[in-house]
Amino acid sequence: MNIAELKRELERLHSASFGWALSCCRRDHSDAEEVLQTVYLKIFEGKAVFRGESSLKTWLFAVIRKTAVTEYRRNLLRRLRLTTDTTEVENRGAFETPTTSFERSEVQAHFQSALKALPKRQREALHLVFYEDLSLREAADVMGVSIGSARQHYERGKKKMRESLAKMEVGYGNNWGRQENPSAV
Amino acid sequence: MEIIGDDKRIRALFSEAKVADEQAAPAFTATWGRAQARALKPRRAFNFSFAVATALLVCALASLALWSKYQTGTTVHTASVDLGAVLNPNPPVNAGSRTAPSVDQSQKQPQIKTRRTLTAQRNTLTLAANRRAEQKAEQEAKQLASWQSPTASLLSSSSDSLFKSLPQLNENSTQLKSFLPNRENEKEK
Repeated sequence: MNIAELKRELERLHSASFGWALSCCRRDHSDAEEVLQTVYLKIFEGKAVFRGESSLKTWLFAVIRKTAVTEYRRNLLRRLRLTTDTTEVENRGAFETPTTSFERSEVQAHFQSALKALPKRQREALHLVFYEDLSLREAADVMGVSIGSARQHYERGKKKMRESLAKMEVGYGNNWGRQENPSAV
Repeated sequence: MEIIGDDKRIRALFSEAKVADEQAAPAFTATWGRAQARALKPRRAFNFSFAVATALLVCALASLALWSKYQTGTTVHTASVDLGAVLNPNPPVNAGSRTAPSVDQSQKQPQIKTRRTLTAQRNTLTLAANRRAEQKAEQEAKQLASWQSPTASLLSSSSDSLFKSLPQLNENSTQLKSFLPNRENEKEK
């Protein structure tokens, strides 16, 4: 695959890639953008080469995941060294994007906080399956684990999410389960 | 049924988030352009952290080398005594060198001689130092052999000879009595 073809494919997958990068960066927009930029740079410089061993989407997501981990470690070290960065982080929070205003809606905010509370692997498995519509096998490829392990992360994550959403329902006084299954009333 | 319902709900929440993310996603051309610009930007040739790490490594290696040299230098110096040089400070020059004498060799002769005398002096000094060390070690060994505990005198008593001596097998009864305690005296007491 030459660079022009690859660029076209990357453009097609751009929004999905950004969503995955957001998930890998704990929904930090600027970090996700930085990660995506680094990924494109890696591809452009030939440091990340697609060999056709898996689908392009799976390969790209795996590169994004690895880059996000590297960038996170680098940023952590930088923040430890420079105390001035804390003010930068605080200022970053003050900047409001359409997504942040959307996330302020109560249900979505609760959902996002529940998602953030999940262990990394479980969050990744849920995101890849529900958000990116990948199969468990593809999710396992992206996460770099066996399919059995991916399935466990997915099931555990789903269970925790269910519990969390149930708590939220109690708070709001409604029950989605009953709406879905009237015979259970 | 409930599980399926929950799955649907989770999927719906994820797709809501997806729609919002798609709206907030930066343009592909902009991100790609910035990546290209980063690729074309000249890299910083001097990496400060790498330089510091290298300097530290070099310092550590140098100090290790010096330390090991210092440690082995003292022992090797004393061990590598050239006895031949001490006994014969002016050894005969090789036959090959004699066959082809030159003007430079005659000029170098005094230098070689001084070097030889210096090495001979050094060797005699090291031999003397070795001898001194041996004598000192001998003295210390003697002192150790003749050492007595300061509390040894407290353990000695008048009946030491009695306890430490044994009766001979072929002694007669009167002689053996001398080893027994005097019962008559005890009765009188």
